[in-house]
Amino acid sequence: MLMSLKAFLPELTLVGFLSALFLLDGFVPKLRENRFPLVWVMVSCLGAALATKAASNLTGPFFNGMVLSNGLSTFFRYFFFFSCGATAYLTLSSKEIDSRGRSEFSILLLCLTFGLSLMALSNHFLMLYIGIETVSIISFVLAGFSRESLRSNEASFKYLVYGAVSSGLMIFGISLIYGYTGTLAYPQIAEALVKNNGAHPYVFYLALFLVYAGFAYKISSFPFHFWTPDVYEGAPTPVATFFSVGPKAAGFGALLHFILTALSQKDGNGQWTMIPGIQLAPILAVLSATTMVVGNLSAIAQTNVKRILAFSSIAHVGYVLMGFVVMTPAAFSSIIFYLIVYCAMNLGAFWVVGIVTDLQGNDDVSSFRGLGWNMPFLGVCMAIFLFSLTGIPLFSGFIGKFLLFGALIQVPGYLWLALLGVLNSVVSLYYYMKILKAMWLERPEGEVKALRLPLTQIVGLLGLAVPTIVLGLFFSPVLELAQKWVAQ
Amino acid sequence: MNLLDFANSIEGYLLVSSILFVLGVFAVLTRKNAIGILLGIELILNAAGINFVAFSKFHSAAMDGQMVALFIILIAAAEAAVALAIILRFYRLKQTIDADEASLLRN
Repeated sequence: MLMSLKAFLPELTLVGFLSALFLLDGFVPKLRENRFPLVWVMVSCLGAALATKAASNLTGPFFNGMVLSNGLSTFFRYFFFFSCGATAYLTLSSKEIDSRGRSEFSILLLCLTFGLSLMALSNHFLMLYIGIETVSIISFVLAGFSRESLRSNEASFKYLVYGAVSSGLMIFGISLIYGYTGTLAYPQIAEALVKNNGAHPYVFYLALFLVYAGFAYKISSFPFHFWTPDVYEGAPTPVATFFSVGPKAAGFGALLHFILTALSQKDGNGQWTMIPGIQLAPILAVLSATTMVVGNLSAIAQTNVKRILAFSSIAHVGYVLMGFVVMTPAAFSSIIFYLIVYCAMNLGAFWVVGIVTDLQGNDDVSSFRGLGWNMPFLGVCMAIFLFSLTGIPLFSGFIGKFLLFGALIQVPGYLWLALLGVLNSVVSLYYYMKILKAMWLERPEGEVKALRLPLTQIVGLLGLAVPTIVLGLFFSPVLELAQKWVAQ
Repeated sequence: MNLLDFANSIEGYLLVSSILFVLGVFAVLTRKNAIGILLGIELILNAAGINFVAFSKFHSAAMDGQMVALFIILIAAAEAAVALAIILRFYRLKQTIDADEASLLRN
């Protein structure tokens, strides 16, 4: 038990800080008038990250096999704490989350991060379901955070309907898997699947499909991606920023743990193979292909920047799913590398959108007109993020895609998927360029609005733009780290 | 097979839960009223709960199925609380809880 608590130290730290903020906010109401709660969130994320470092050498299942701590868990913990801290940092100067809601926002953000950790660490279906519901229920509230805004309320309403339905489908699927295997813990499921040896495939695949509904909704993969553009557009920009990074990565973490522990076996030299009788690679390949095609094609016609970024995030999910098709360690480390890169560039792009929304009052492409000339720093940063999202060489997005496609073509039979991915990147150039063209080639209508960015914003944007470029040139240290996490 | 045997076998429970699940999905897909959709979701969750208890009773020595059913009830309650709050606020702003009226955000 003591070992379990030690391995759970990062989450315990987070909960400790969270409870302290809860009490402080109740007893000292004056605190919410300044930016104290958001700074508190950053401090707690830092504390939790330090605790992750301390707990990273404790591996194995903990709490009677409910959670699994390994290299991947360490990576996902760092990832969540970083993206939570970064979201709090960019909210410091946001006008959408003002002094009335700052402490509620901070508390919910910390709760959400705790839920993300539970999701990505889960080693048991009950833990997974609780993690997903923790994240979902808090996300519904956060999406509707702008109380007076009809759009925000609608976003929250739609998120609620889609989220509740897909998690309902998921728990029904889990109940079928429980009937099929007689257990809910991932390692025991693997044992039972070996024993069943592919009996009653229809029941099993139906159950898997229903379970995938829950994952697909969290990572916004086809066919459960419909909520994404609406929610990102309607939710306050800092919230959408976090949604596009945190819960997605948590979904991938949970999916990785599920596939690796429950559906496959690890052999002596560190390779994973699917349990005999389970054929997932073709299904995942089709899901990956449809997800990126649907995301990219739908993005073309959009005129709202947040919607464009939402569809682009769906397309990126398609790219990441490629890594699941081939189950090699190289593919898994490139998934991790891609998530790191995606985190930097997507946080950055949403951040710029947030600044422009605060300035212009709306987030259409038209409000980006002439931005590059009026606020050059912002324009250059946005250009870096968008080039990287497209996957243009010299930017980190290119290396991320290169590694994923490279891992994919190592295994025969999936060249078509890699080619489709390349084609999709070309299509995505069109809609990213639409934003860049508005920023640099068009003149603003009416009076020119520009403001001097506060120092915190400049530092923050640089903190995301520099890694976006540097990781495109010197990626090997991060890649080696990713390989270490996968091997652990 | 008489009715009593049917009630003592797992098939009976699975039949009921499957019917509940299908009805729930049907309600979610066809209802326009937000509360109706919420009721459909509750049906899906309860279908899963029945499955868990039935599988646990007939196929497993441990109590983990019953445990999960308890957790489902708890989580459904939490979800319903948040859902009703969201629907209430939607009603305040729009004077309707028709899901089709949530049409501000679309392509």
